[in-house]
Amino acid sequence: MCPDREILSAYFDGEVAAPWGRQIAEHVSGCERCRAWLAGMESTRRALADEQLHEWRAPMERVRLRILAHVPSERPRVSMWRRQMTLPVPVAVLAAALLLILGVSLAVVTTRQDMGYIRITKAPAGGTEYQFAVPYDKVEALLKSVGGSDANIESVMTIPKNVKLVPVGEPRMGRADEFLRKKP
Amino acid sequence: MKTSVRSGIVPILLALAVAHANGQAQGIETDPKEALQELLSKALTVTVSARILPPDTEEETPIWNAESTKLTIPGRSIKVRLDGDNVRIYLICTPYLQDNGEVLLLAQGQVWFTEPQDNENRYVSTFYSIPVSYGEKILFFPLGVSSADTPQKKHLNIELEIKIVPYEKKP
Repeated sequence: MCPDREILSAYFDGEVAAPWGRQIAEHVSGCERCRAWLAGMESTRRALADEQLHEWRAPMERVRLRILAHVPSERPRVSMWRRQMTLPVPVAVLAAALLLILGVSLAVVTTRQDMGYIRITKAPAGGTEYQFAVPYDKVEALLKSVGGSDANIESVMTIPKNVKLVPVGEPRMGRADEFLRKKP
Repeated sequence: MKTSVRSGIVPILLALAVAHANGQAQGIETDPKEALQELLSKALTVTVSARILPPDTEEETPIWNAESTKLTIPGRSIKVRLDGDNVRIYLICTPYLQDNGEVLLLAQGQVWFTEPQDNENRYVSTFYSIPVSYGEKILFFPLGVSSADTPQKKHLNIELEIKIVPYEKKP
């Protein structure tokens, strides 16, 4: 009985151990069918071994070049100032608006801290509008310098302790001639 | 639809925006010296004289008085506080210049008073709006006015006199 093809293939490749290999060799020597199969395997191996390298290297090189032709080449370095970016128009408009708002806000913040100016607008009718944009402490300093006195906005007067005041009515205010002191 | 911009233009746009806003903020700035002269020409001196007068008699010599003179500009208030044993009085005066050259005095009086008998605190706040001429005397009686006709005729009167004059530079 002939051995299996897989066993024969292993025998052909020298992968069958010695006692089994000897038995297969004895069988092959007396079996025309197995000898013919092994002869076919041998002729195929020789054909592959005799194949010249140059016969497949040329097509392989062509394939390699075709693949490289489709690989994007390395882009040249572009300066940041010359680099372009593509934005959808709404995004570009929005970005420009945000930039403008940011710029105005930045300008207001930077100028307000030291905005020591007084704007005077004279209307044609004769009216005058004053706008003061001076930090509070600077107004105090200004008024102190021209007034030459204590610049505290609140003056405190202390009434003597022995003076007992009692409300005699509702608070009142008016021109002095409205409050002529009545003589008893 | 897309648009292309050079990324380098972004900081330039930002700088332009800042410069433009700066120009907007400072473009119509007045010369500080001229502005100061204009400011001083409209400055006002507000004098508040406080007096405590004896009960309604012929004697008009105050038993106590104090005075405070403040320099201000139209629209800016001055504040005077009187501290007593059982009373605290605030007078807040804000002068405004009117088109006719007169002053509109907006005054607020606040009185905090503690009743001697029951230690109850009272608070009264009043507002007044009075057109005044320069130098005209305005009187404020924060605790009311006693007179011979009132039952409290034996009580002391406290009055605050307000006088507003244009600021004059000291020689």
